[in-house]
Amino acid sequence: MVLEATMICIDNSEWMRNGDYGPSRFQAQADAVNLICGAKTQSNPENTVGVLTMAGKGVRVLVTPTSDLGKILACMHGLEIGGEMNLAAGIQVAQLALKHRQNKKQQQRIIVFAGSPVKHEKKTLEMIGKKLKKNSVTLDIVNFGEDDEGKTEKLEALLAAVNNNDTSHIVHIPAGPNALSDILLSTPIFTGDGEGGSGFAASAAAAAAGGISGFEFGVDPNLDPELALALRVSMEEERARQEAAAKKAAEESSKQEKGGEEQDATMTERASEGASEADNKKNEFLALAMSMDEPASSQDLQDTEMSDAAAEDPELALALQLSVQDSAKDSSSQADMSKLLADQSFVSSILASLPGVDPNDPSVKEVLASMQSQSEPQQKQDEDKAPKEEDKK
Amino acid sequence: MSAAESATAIHRNQVDLLDFIDWSGVECLNQSSSHPLPNALKQGYREDEGLNLESDADEQLLIYIPFTQVIKLHSIVVMGSEEDGPKTVKLFANREHMGFSNVSDFPPSDTVVLSQDNLKGKPVVVKYVKFQNVRSLTIFIEDNQSGLEITKVQKIALYGSTVETTDMKGLKKIEDH
Repeated sequence: MVLEATMICIDNSEWMRNGDYGPSRFQAQADAVNLICGAKTQSNPENTVGVLTMAGKGVRVLVTPTSDLGKILACMHGLEIGGEMNLAAGIQVAQLALKHRQNKKQQQRIIVFAGSPVKHEKKTLEMIGKKLKKNSVTLDIVNFGEDDEGKTEKLEALLAAVNNNDTSHIVHIPAGPNALSDILLSTPIFTGDGEGGSGFAASAAAAAAGGISGFEFGVDPNLDPELALALRVSMEEERARQEAAAKKAAEESSKQEKGGEEQDATMTERASEGASEADNKKNEFLALAMSMDEPASSQDLQDTEMSDAAAEDPELALALQLSVQDSAKDSSSQADMSKLLADQSFVSSILASLPGVDPNDPSVKEVLASMQSQSEPQQKQDEDKAPKEEDKK
Repeated sequence: MSAAESATAIHRNQVDLLDFIDWSGVECLNQSSSHPLPNALKQGYREDEGLNLESDADEQLLIYIPFTQVIKLHSIVVMGSEEDGPKTVKLFANREHMGFSNVSDFPPSDTVVLSQDNLKGKPVVVKYVKFQNVRSLTIFIEDNQSGLEITKVQKIALYGSTVETTDMKGLKKIEDH
């Protein structure tokens, strides 16, 4: 949680058009910059980050050190690629920008993305490094892209001149399948000077690795307790809603076996139960319709779903038992059910009674159409089944 | 000469300003991390000849010392060795957060060239009139005696007196009898 002011020096030279770091070197760089800005501002809210470009017409400061992440991200848009990178000038301008930071208590740090060849002499870079060290500015170098002879050597010399107790780092990133930003996440540039990483970097790294995030929902409760709490609450609400829907579906299919007469009552019951959102209602109805319209085929599937839900709810277990018993005996009544549903007018009247469901809604219409087409073969199936069962009896 | 006489001994009402240094704000630019500023400033460390403040990248040092009270600076003592002790020392009063780039931007409150005697412990009297109302002191060590790469300072001591500022801790609650 070091209080830091950072200047990021971006290489927007011609060499950045290359696609060896997908999608393009420049884009990979931009992603990395976004990540760094996020990590810095998260690790300490008073941290400031600024951005400048080193190539193009000349060194240009896009945004002076600020803690406003939006401003930083916005300035990354519309950057043009061209020209040659001027590393020495870039670093010196960065140093100047840091010198005029608002909060003098912040530590000064420069992060340089060196993607194109370095045309300066080693001596020049060493002198720059010494000057940085003298003014207690730390430097992080990201060496990627072009790898001409001497570039690595020069950058290492620069780092050696600046480095004071391992506070400055250099990272070499070869082209490859992994994204530039992903590789950066595991480097000391993100993890800080042996602090063990900010929560942001840690969780982002874990997510990037495709593994299980160390924190629930990928948000560190220490860093952002309100967000973590909000996520947890909404997840529980969603779970409860899904359980309720599953419960209703199970109850629905069990009642369905008992008798078609209850159909009306149940439907209106459900209508009057009145869940809050229109989407919710629609989903429930769709689920119900789909569950009813494939009673024979999807029975097994439903049973497994229902048995999961039943584990949590004894009432539900009872309903399940009944439904299982009934379904064994009573496939003929399902045929009745399907016929009823096939009756377009009946269905649309039910739909109209449900608040928030518009019978003219295309998705609802689709379901109805599918139900109709399915109910015909369904009826035939049921009729075949019914005589078979009678034979068995 | 009266100036020379007063320089040989610390004035009677001048105290060592060590107690009034605000340690939380003390900074030193270009110091070597293994030989930092407390080696030269702090009681005990500064007496130890083995512990020095050393410069890092080059021979210059920039030391910033804020005080807890407003003080008047009378004299300073800078001790070091013959070859790599400091030579030219510039003092700036009440300049916050200076850097090496702006040391030449404004004239120093006083400039001191240290002789071998000074390096052995003889205090240097400063221009008292310029240091009547000092909240912070910046010491810029420009070079050393032999022009070596690294400057080493064994001790820095400041002598002066405080202005009558209220010491809030000394305030006592009035008791009702």
